[in-house]
Amino acid sequence: MSSTFVMHDWRLLERIVGLTHRMGCAYTRVDVKADGNRYTADIDFTGPPESLRRLSAQLNRLLNDDKELHS
Amino acid sequence: MSEPDCPTYTGSRLVLDVLIDEGVDVVFGVPGGAIMPLYDAMYTHPIRHILTRHEQGAAFAAGGYARATGRVGVCMATSGPGAVNLLTGILDAQMDSKPLLAITGQVRTPLMGTDAFQEADISSMAQGATKRAICVHTIDDLERTLRAALRLARGPRPGAVLVDIPQDLLKAACAPPRGRAKTQVPRFDPEYRKPEHRADDAALDEAAELLANAKRPVAVVGGGAAGTQASNLYRAFCAKLKLPHTATINGLGCALPGDPRFLGMLGMHGWKAANLAISQADVVIALGMRFDDRVTGRTDKFAQDATIIHADVDPCELNKIIPAAVSLCGDLRDTLARLNQRLEAPATPTFEAWAQEALALGTPPPRDRTPNVELSATDVLDAFFERAPAEVIVTTDVGQHQMWAAQRMRATTPRNFITSAGLGSMGFGMPAAIGAQLGRPESTVVAVCGDGGFQMTLPELATIKRYDLPVKILLIDNQRLGMVRQWQELFYERRYAHTDLSDNPDFVAIARAYGLHAEFTGPGDDLRAALDRFLSEKGPALLHCACYPTENVWPLIPPGGAISEGMEQAAK
Repeated sequence: MSSTFVMHDWRLLERIVGLTHRMGCAYTRVDVKADGNRYTADIDFTGPPESLRRLSAQLNRLLNDDKELHS
Repeated sequence: MSEPDCPTYTGSRLVLDVLIDEGVDVVFGVPGGAIMPLYDAMYTHPIRHILTRHEQGAAFAAGGYARATGRVGVCMATSGPGAVNLLTGILDAQMDSKPLLAITGQVRTPLMGTDAFQEADISSMAQGATKRAICVHTIDDLERTLRAALRLARGPRPGAVLVDIPQDLLKAACAPPRGRAKTQVPRFDPEYRKPEHRADDAALDEAAELLANAKRPVAVVGGGAAGTQASNLYRAFCAKLKLPHTATINGLGCALPGDPRFLGMLGMHGWKAANLAISQADVVIALGMRFDDRVTGRTDKFAQDATIIHADVDPCELNKIIPAAVSLCGDLRDTLARLNQRLEAPATPTFEAWAQEALALGTPPPRDRTPNVELSATDVLDAFFERAPAEVIVTTDVGQHQMWAAQRMRATTPRNFITSAGLGSMGFGMPAAIGAQLGRPESTVVAVCGDGGFQMTLPELATIKRYDLPVKILLIDNQRLGMVRQWQELFYERRYAHTDLSDNPDFVAIARAYGLHAEFTGPGDDLRAALDRFLSEKGPALLHCACYPTENVWPLIPPGGAISEGMEQAAK
């Protein structure tokens, strides 16, 4: 699973890494670029499909909250 | 330019002024070193502060306040141990979607990262327990961060947010708040939610069609319908279709009290009729609930013959555990209002016959009884609920008494039943009652506690007394960690490891030492008269009920079981 995340707080990467581990998944590539106050992370994940599905939902919630916090 | 020694306006004052401006009228906390500047500013500030005796009590009280009022509960503590002690209450709020803001003092910025006295990286620790945990690094960020944190705590789906503020920022000179709470937003209205998520019209059409063509539909409501408007719309929905309906523990009170088609609570200790009706349903509409494992039991057997319609404001909940044929992502008030419109058509069927069939699927199970005259916890709770005012607010700890109370509570609103549902944290009941009583001072608030949980936050008796809160504590003392004991009996071959609390202290003496009215009732005493005296007491009171230790909670879905496979008694 490859995902692109746009975030305002780069510490979210810590949460993404933590949740990835918690769901029994792993990442094979992390590429982060800073653009002013925004950060874009391209991440490739591996893991069981069900775990990746749950991870994806949790990460979407994190990013929704990040968007809300900075709206 | 150097910072003035005694600036006239500081970060501390800014924090308090922003809280007031955002509608916060009470905060719960315990002072300490790093947060002293904030407490110093409070000395002359109009905000109301409730001093609890432990930070966990502050966080639970803020959670109780939040659930009882729908407004953001605010708790505060100093750095290090104070902040860490908040964490259980913070996670409780997050898991039950109670809006909560935790403010923690932090060591001075130059000391951060030096393992300074009472330094804890609380914003990192709290990341997994909150929607967001933020450490403020510059005074210029303070106001914006606080307002954003309150906004995030409120929702669309409420939850917990932590803001960590270094001491030097609390002392720093700054300008008064630049912004004002957005006046076009009814920010003090707990019903307010941003309207950005709206269920799709086509999905609503599909949901209405599924319901119209159903033979055995069942509705399940959760804490997402806790607001008054959502509850009223839910009641209208149920009345329109005359369908049987059930609730998660956080959804208790959404249904109209006395609704003849309400099947009772769903799940591990839910009523048999509710669990069997879900198992026999052909359409289940789940509203503002998240299919917690204590609700579903074995997921592949949950509503296995049903088409699922799932409505929730949090898109991440949809299809997380139970796949839905129709997902309605949006504010539940909007979703229900538009769904109800679609069901207005005269041809829309009703399901009275199926509702009666569902109700007949099960009755409350026979209670455990001892052969002698010992006091039964379920008798105590039956008698209590017969006598309690209809509008009573009940808070609970966690365990058997919580489930017995949930099975019996006929709350008029979800804000009247307050429990630690998702986290299941013992010790929640009494501090939550403090918060609820402060949020709704006109209400009768009763904390139903077990003897195990009561002792976890017992020092908050001092808080009740200090603020002369008329909180009532109904102590169900079975001298055991009862739910664990029950599981040991049923699933661990009666090996009762470390669940015996028969050396409990004299609770009446303890309560009296804190200045509360307290009474004991046990086998042979007049329970009903004791409850009448307890409930009519003007001030705070404790009723210590000495119950027999081996009563079990029934029904029980055994671990790994389907909700259709409830046990109603122990194997002989």
